[in-house]
Amino acid sequence: MFIRAPKDFWSGVMFLCFAAVTLVTASGYSMGRGGRMGPGYFPTLLGAVLGLLGLILVLRSFAIRGEAVEKIQWRPLAALVGCVLLFAAMIQPLGLVIALSATTFLASFAGPDWRLREAALLSAGLTIAAVLIFVLGLRLPLPLWPSL
Amino acid sequence: MNFARTMRALMVAPALCLMAGAALAQSYPNKPVRLVLPYSPGGIIDYVGRTMAQGLSTTLGQSVVAENRPGAGGITGTDTVARSAPDGYNLVLMDPAIVINPTLQASMPYDLFKQLTTVSIISTSPEVVVVAPDLPIKSLADLIAYGKANPGKLNFASAGIGTTPHLAGELFKQRTGIDATHVPYRSIGQSYPDMMNNKVQFAFSSIAGALPFTTDNRVRAIATTGNVRSNVYPDLPTVQETGLAGFEVDLWLGIFAPAATPADVIGKLNDAIRTTLKDPEVIKALAKVGVDPRGTTQKEGEAFLRDEFTKWKKVIEDGKIKEQQ
Amino acid sequence: MADVFSNIGLGLSVAASLQNLVYCMLGVVLGTLVGVLPGVGPVTTVAMLLPISFTLEPTSALILMAGIYYGAQYGGSTTAILINIPGEASSVITSLDGHQMARQGRAGPALGIAALGSFFAGCVATFIIAFGAPPLAKLALQFGPAEYFSLMLCGLVAAVVLARGSIIKAIAMVVLGLLFGLAGSDVNSGIRRFTFDMQGLADGIEFVALSMAIYGIAEVAINLERRQEEAKKVSAVGKLMPSGAELRACTPSILRGTFLGSILGVLPGGGALLAAFAAYTLEKKVAKPPRKFGEGDIRGVAAPESANNAGAQTSFIPMLTLGIPSNPTMALMIGALMVHGITPGPRVMTDRPELFWGVVASMWIGNLMLVILNLPMVGIWVKLLRMPYRLMFPMIVGFCCIGAYTINANVADIAVLAFFTCFGYLCLKLDCEPAPLILGFVLGPMMEENLRRALLISRGDPMVFVETPISIGFLLAAAGLLLVVAAPAIRRKREEAMAE
Repeated sequence: MFIRAPKDFWSGVMFLCFAAVTLVTASGYSMGRGGRMGPGYFPTLLGAVLGLLGLILVLRSFAIRGEAVEKIQWRPLAALVGCVLLFAAMIQPLGLVIALSATTFLASFAGPDWRLREAALLSAGLTIAAVLIFVLGLRLPLPLWPSL
Repeated sequence: MNFARTMRALMVAPALCLMAGAALAQSYPNKPVRLVLPYSPGGIIDYVGRTMAQGLSTTLGQSVVAENRPGAGGITGTDTVARSAPDGYNLVLMDPAIVINPTLQASMPYDLFKQLTTVSIISTSPEVVVVAPDLPIKSLADLIAYGKANPGKLNFASAGIGTTPHLAGELFKQRTGIDATHVPYRSIGQSYPDMMNNKVQFAFSSIAGALPFTTDNRVRAIATTGNVRSNVYPDLPTVQETGLAGFEVDLWLGIFAPAATPADVIGKLNDAIRTTLKDPEVIKALAKVGVDPRGTTQKEGEAFLRDEFTKWKKVIEDGKIKEQQ
Repeated sequence: MADVFSNIGLGLSVAASLQNLVYCMLGVVLGTLVGVLPGVGPVTTVAMLLPISFTLEPTSALILMAGIYYGAQYGGSTTAILINIPGEASSVITSLDGHQMARQGRAGPALGIAALGSFFAGCVATFIIAFGAPPLAKLALQFGPAEYFSLMLCGLVAAVVLARGSIIKAIAMVVLGLLFGLAGSDVNSGIRRFTFDMQGLADGIEFVALSMAIYGIAEVAINLERRQEEAKKVSAVGKLMPSGAELRACTPSILRGTFLGSILGVLPGGGALLAAFAAYTLEKKVAKPPRKFGEGDIRGVAAPESANNAGAQTSFIPMLTLGIPSNPTMALMIGALMVHGITPGPRVMTDRPELFWGVVASMWIGNLMLVILNLPMVGIWVKLLRMPYRLMFPMIVGFCCIGAYTINANVADIAVLAFFTCFGYLCLKLDCEPAPLILGFVLGPMMEENLRRALLISRGDPMVFVETPISIGFLLAAAGLLLVVAAPAIRRKREEAMAE
């Protein structure tokens, strides 16, 4: 392998990706002229700087030695992101009670040793606490149950 | 228990739909009514909305709950009501942005005239023309003369692209032919320090935004934009008085409902709104932020909305405001 | 001089009336509560209480609202330290060292020093308001678009100083933060940028969702994989209060933080946040060695906490003396005053001295209440940490979800939470520090806005940035900071090259 500093290399790649998205999107915005700076000017400038920095990181990673990237463990990440998305999908149609108990139940899968009884109790307890604090206590306009 | 309630509701639903109209209006309202306020807490809409919600609760004998749904210059909150059930339990309070957005925005999630209907235009409030105190400008005529004598020197502040203060300034430019650069801020209040330092020279401001600065002349108020003089600034002439015939800018507020809401429910709401607006307590509360009650019928409201839509559409097109983006 | 003391006396007599004491108490308790809960900030709370405040006397109403505001700052740092979820932008900095301390079983001293530092800063800031409100208000008025731009630039350079590790990565993270901050409706042109046609992004990326994702959930993911065994373990509790030695070490930090916070807090927009960042940066450079910032240095909690509390306090100056709101909560307070027929401005001090001085004095009383209230709570909070991690993390995730949703009742904010969880995870894996990103995110929109506004007013002439001493001062400071950062890096490079 030529990559001697993998963390720097992949950070550089990440920044380059963001820079590319920025530059492509910002090309649709006007740059403006004279005193009136357009909405595309600042993002294009930043995108270019970000791209440059990304490039430096990538090139430099061939020259200097750095740490390896720790292996990505998919289970905790997937469970956590999954349960957040689940909450997003459920909160409006199904209400807080169902959405939150499902979310916390699924979230507990991210942990190392999973126990059914514990996860169920935890999600029930959290849901009750949340309903008491947010809906009954603070009177936030959160739907509790599925709406017809 | 909840399951049982759901089942019962499911079975009753089709029958309900059949007898919708009449039955609905008779029993209306039999549960809390939601009044969506599409801006963040703290502005005029928020205050007027909460005052109206309280007043309407007494008039209707059923609680009316104000709910902030800010986002995208009022579009998000208006959209939730445009999409909600047309049963009279979903209302939205909006300002002129409701007629400006369709012209200004590239795409809209709802169709104003197809999906929403006016219940009533509830209030009216002029804007006030304020100028930097360092300038030798004491009247609107002075401002126009100054603008003509110093082309390219004037800046005017606004609360953002397409807001009433911006479009009022554009209209002023179009009517007088003076040249002024538009400097947008996030809110009109944010522009006052720059006005005190003469970095921006004038603005069409909401009364509530201007009051803290005009009471002790840290900026100078020179005119108001209504048809008649404002109760808050009785000594200031209107823009029309100073010679710009027909120049009127109104920061009105209106209550709107989904278009398919039954006519008799709208009628009932309209009555309730007009009764509420006659309550001296409500009038007093609104006067504190420079807002006067209006209370149109539904028909008047619809016609007014069309007029406002056309008026601002013309200003936006003549000023080539979309092209500047 | 004598005048000020008689005024403070008047203020104390107003604030110490039974009725006002009760409202002050109510305010700080509610504030602490909502500061601890994610997603419910002081703005929401003050807004909910607005209708009630109309029925109160104006002084009591303002005392209540002010209490909620600075009480929330206290509460926000509690969650930042305990579970790494900064409730407020300014507590992002507190979580850097505060949460590290909690992990080492030193949550007690961290919470304790946060409370004591804040209390001290609050007391000093109260006196600064009493003595210096009029001149400080004049200073705030000197800030036009050009001065703000230079200040923001200086702040961003400071963010780079603040970062550990690679400078290139830190700069890139600042730039990326600036870009994330630009998403949403552009003030200057009205068009929507980087929303990818999503209605939910029209107002940009929600700060609370972003910071909860990066600091809260992404951190959970990393914890779960890095410390499989630790997830089962109960973290040590340790002692509850900072030791005498720790207190002595923190004293200069608290003083510096208070000073910076009091000055920067006066500037409308981002004052308290900039203050916390600036105080932390300063500590990193001037604190006595051994410096262990980022690894649980107690001075890394003391300085920013004092700074943000002092800043929160002095941000009342432009509101009370000029009628200019520093932030949305202040805007609400101005609204409340106007409904009472009081127009905020320079005349409030002379026309309604009981209101002005009553509120100022109540802040001092409120800060005292907060300390009395919070110090005994430290024990309870720390016990909460005894809960095994496998029970705690679903709770963190659940509360982040509710928090993200309740800000605007917008599902898009939960989607933002999911996206930035992945992003934050990636950053942590790649050793890209998120703190500079956060500062860039908050300052980005203000920076661009003021840059464009300054050029618009000057008709495109860039000389506007070097026309006033304030602006020149910040630009020079930024350049100086840049040198400070670059110098050791260049030296290190050279040494590396030599070694090879």
